[in-house]
Amino acid sequence: MKFDAIVIGGGHAAIEAALAVARLNYSVLQITQNLDTIGKLSCNPAIGGLAKGNLVREIDALGGEMGRLIDRTMIQFRVLNRSRGPAVQAPRAQADKSSYQQAAKSALESQPNLVLFQDTVVDFVLSPDGTRVQGVVTERGKRLRSDAVIVTTGTFLNGRIFVGEYSRSAGRLGEPAAHGLDEALRRAGHRLGRMKTGTPPRVARSSLDLGKMEEQHGDPEIVPFSFTHDSVNRPQRPCYITFTNPGTKRVIEAAIHRSPLYSGKIVGIGPRYCPSIEDKVVRFPERERHQIFVEPEGLNTDEMYLNGVSSSLPEDVQEEFIHTIAGLEHAEIVRPGYAVEYDYIDPMQLRPSLESKLVRGLFVAGQTNGSSGYEEAAAQGIIAGINAVRSLQGAEPLILTRAEAYIGVLIDDLVTLGTNEPYRMFTSRAEHRLSLRHDSSDLRLLEKGYRVGLQSPARWEQFQEKRRRIEESKELLHKRRVSELEAAQYSEELKLQRQAGKSFHQLLKNPEITIEHLRRIDSTVLPELPGEWVRQIELDVKYEGYVSRQDKQIERFRKMESMRIPQDLRYHGLEGLSNEAREKLEAVQPLSIGQASRISGVRNSDIAILMVALARSTRTRAPGNGNGRDQ
Amino acid sequence: MTYDDPIAALATPLGRSALAVVRCSGEGCIELMATAFSRPEALREAAGHTVVYGRLLNHGREGQAELVDELTAVVFRAPRSYTGEDVIELVCHGSPKTVESVLGLLRRLGFRPAEPGEFTLRAFLAGKIDLTQAEAVAELIDARTHRARSLALRRLSGSVAERINAVKARLVEISAAVEIHLDYPEEDSSEVAPPVQALAAAIADLERLVATYATGKRLRDGAPVAIAGRTNAGKSSLFNVLLREDRSIVSELHGTTRDYIEQGIEIDGIPVTLYDTAGLREPGGAIESEGIRRSEVIMANAAAVVYLVDGAEPPSEPNWRQELEAVRARSGGGVIAVWHKIDRAGAGVPPGFIGVSSVSGEGLDVLRNALRRVILPASTAESEAAVIESDRQKQLIDRAVEALRRVREGLAEQVPLDLVAVDLQEALSALGEITGEVSSAELLDVMFSKFCVGK
Repeated sequence: MKFDAIVIGGGHAAIEAALAVARLNYSVLQITQNLDTIGKLSCNPAIGGLAKGNLVREIDALGGEMGRLIDRTMIQFRVLNRSRGPAVQAPRAQADKSSYQQAAKSALESQPNLVLFQDTVVDFVLSPDGTRVQGVVTERGKRLRSDAVIVTTGTFLNGRIFVGEYSRSAGRLGEPAAHGLDEALRRAGHRLGRMKTGTPPRVARSSLDLGKMEEQHGDPEIVPFSFTHDSVNRPQRPCYITFTNPGTKRVIEAAIHRSPLYSGKIVGIGPRYCPSIEDKVVRFPERERHQIFVEPEGLNTDEMYLNGVSSSLPEDVQEEFIHTIAGLEHAEIVRPGYAVEYDYIDPMQLRPSLESKLVRGLFVAGQTNGSSGYEEAAAQGIIAGINAVRSLQGAEPLILTRAEAYIGVLIDDLVTLGTNEPYRMFTSRAEHRLSLRHDSSDLRLLEKGYRVGLQSPARWEQFQEKRRRIEESKELLHKRRVSELEAAQYSEELKLQRQAGKSFHQLLKNPEITIEHLRRIDSTVLPELPGEWVRQIELDVKYEGYVSRQDKQIERFRKMESMRIPQDLRYHGLEGLSNEAREKLEAVQPLSIGQASRISGVRNSDIAILMVALARSTRTRAPGNGNGRDQ
Repeated sequence: MTYDDPIAALATPLGRSALAVVRCSGEGCIELMATAFSRPEALREAAGHTVVYGRLLNHGREGQAELVDELTAVVFRAPRSYTGEDVIELVCHGSPKTVESVLGLLRRLGFRPAEPGEFTLRAFLAGKIDLTQAEAVAELIDARTHRARSLALRRLSGSVAERINAVKARLVEISAAVEIHLDYPEEDSSEVAPPVQALAAAIADLERLVATYATGKRLRDGAPVAIAGRTNAGKSSLFNVLLREDRSIVSELHGTTRDYIEQGIEIDGIPVTLYDTAGLREPGGAIESEGIRRSEVIMANAAAVVYLVDGAEPPSEPNWRQELEAVRARSGGGVIAVWHKIDRAGAGVPPGFIGVSSVSGEGLDVLRNALRRVILPASTAESEAAVIESDRQKQLIDRAVEALRRVREGLAEQVPLDLVAVDLQEALSALGEITGEVSSAELLDVMFSKFCVGK
């Protein structure tokens, strides 16, 4: 049997990839080692957070699933960074892990064109010259044909877990690793490396003294992740906060030599931003305490997640140091923390479409590309799924720019710079942060989702209506002016003395004044709109000045991005390039001068030479047309 | 950095001549020019390679129009032009004053002053000139990095980069603190203290650097120095001795001896244009000759005026005091008073004067030091090794300072941090453009600054 596409894996990248392919009306076979672990939240029981929440909403705007899954399964919702500005606010939700998994699996099961199958892929079927993928071979000897294969192996490819002196081949604790594809990828010419990540111990809630910890509750109001949901009504559960102390530190210091990280057993590079507790103790010896969030793993489980003490120390040490912590003195560890080391592919070997540069039709997404995080994986998954279909159609791939989406930043960073630690998204990675607010994800991306075919015409209509009404409302604010009478009436309350004649739009730019205030002056100033839209209008108006300054920066960026580099350009023949630049350019094959300029090791002088070469080649190709601007 | 915005620059040497050519290039440059042209339609409709006669007008706010110059505009249409873009070459009258008014008007219209070599750069990018071989570019880059243009200048520009990098490092630190704070909302970290002091220091640093622009301009363009005094004060002999001492005469400027002589020399590495002016007459009995009127113009534009008194046969004290006052009033820069011919002077040198002998060479060193101090603004003469050289550097630093002031205000007014971060980023990117680390396009500008403006 032949499928249009095969997705290898069952994690967050795989879910989005498989759904995208199937929803674009192409048949897809999703092969995973264990159907019961589809959509598993292997580490923390939460979706979203800084920049990651934006990724989830972008995926939703394109027509992906993650936002809907978390909306249906959350057990606590918070908007982070409320006090720190609109661009860095982000929604985050605690998830009921097991419900999340079930919801993910049933989304796949109920999707036409999508077939699930439990097996382990051990090899690819390649064209005789090795440049095209034609299918996969499974452990049980099946040969399955397909012209598009999406690899999302997560931590399973050659995975190995470590708990102190204990180490086993595994992708997660108790789940076997996958072998074979690492060799298959190498044979096809890919460079693979090792990465490491870790997870903290889980403890039994019944053994904790929650009274000694600070409770942390969710927000009273839940903002849905998915733009298709008007509201979310879910039970909310608190998290708890406690801290390590000097006693904890002493226990860890005394046992540090027993950590596989420090004894040299682990060679993979771990993330700097999410260090294990032993890392924190070693690297920040002056810090007396580290924060721990104790988070429920679900509504119907006693397990709690100890966010902040990821560890691969031996189990007896884990127990000892945990017992030094307030509220955890008698904690029963039900699963130990562990480190996991796995193979990843150097993402610089991928095109911005996430297709391998070496093998046509082979796409790679998620942790296999050196990223980390559910949201980062899902974001790559949906793009890989869309582009697998587009390659089957012979259409141009969907490539989001850094200026329009965090997804664009994520993929551009991975394929242009590569990564030498598990890559996590941060708002500070985005030069155009102000324009990438989570609430504007649909305005930025829904049209793209519709154009590629993932959003239905009905959804598109709805969205256009929203866009129109927001625009109209902004118009109204421009037109409505403060009368003399109103200025006098609200001179005290809203400080409107001498504001007569100003538009409401201008008033709103005052940090003190909100749309609610404007409605107090005139309750009819705006039509009834959903709260999120009102907020969006308010933010757009309030921060117009900043956004337009950033827009200017984006404009400069667009010029560089629009200088396309023909894919048949021979860097070899370009005299004057530094050797390093030539190698890097050959390896990355940037699509534009903009992308080329971000490659590390490519200097300004190399860019100059490249621009000259381009100017010459466009001149010979299309006389009179300098730099072909896209769009 | 964009490469098609309208730019303009003088293509002929600045100085008195019958005609001067101002070259303009870029997208929309014909339309832009038409808004100030007496025959806008003629200009708009002109075919390539044609000449349009007309007047350039400065339209006031009230609708009145002031004549800037009567001139011809040579129109070239893209892509058949030097730069490959629409180009206008204005052939205007050659007096420096007229040229300045024309350039001033163009700036107000929206033409950006061209960077050195920018026309060539555009021509090059448009594939118009023969340098398009990548090898040639590589050579240029090498030339830029390896071959010293001038030791002094290289040292100076290096220290500018150092200074900017120091400020940048400071800003990167502030920025990192802000970003960590933004990206780790739940970290158990105390709030970042607003980096008020570090910001103030960065702003002050950049402002000091901007202040050196005047010095940089002097270093680049040279300083006009006038020698003034009575007819018999020995102006010519001092002029000649300064010339003789300077072995690095750069060029013989135009304007052969009329009523004054001018000559380019270097004093301690500073290019100086020396003017030997017509003699001053006693006030009152002045005959308003054309020569004296010109001398006064020169003094008004001078960075320094050397006022000579014949020490061998000095005028009465009230007389020279009066003259010195008159010179001070007329000088556009500082005034250095020289008691000349001290080899033959009877009495001592009055306080405030430098005693100099063009015959023995006595006092020449003191004079040169004094000149340097006057020519280079005091704050930068000795203490500042870093001197910014180009308009572009100045504009970028100004942009950074402006952005940092907004950061400071934003912090004071408790604007959300992510918004403050935009301005911090703006400042960093402006500084990055100077050192060439952020904008790749920057290098092209640097490379082509080897070419003369307007060529």
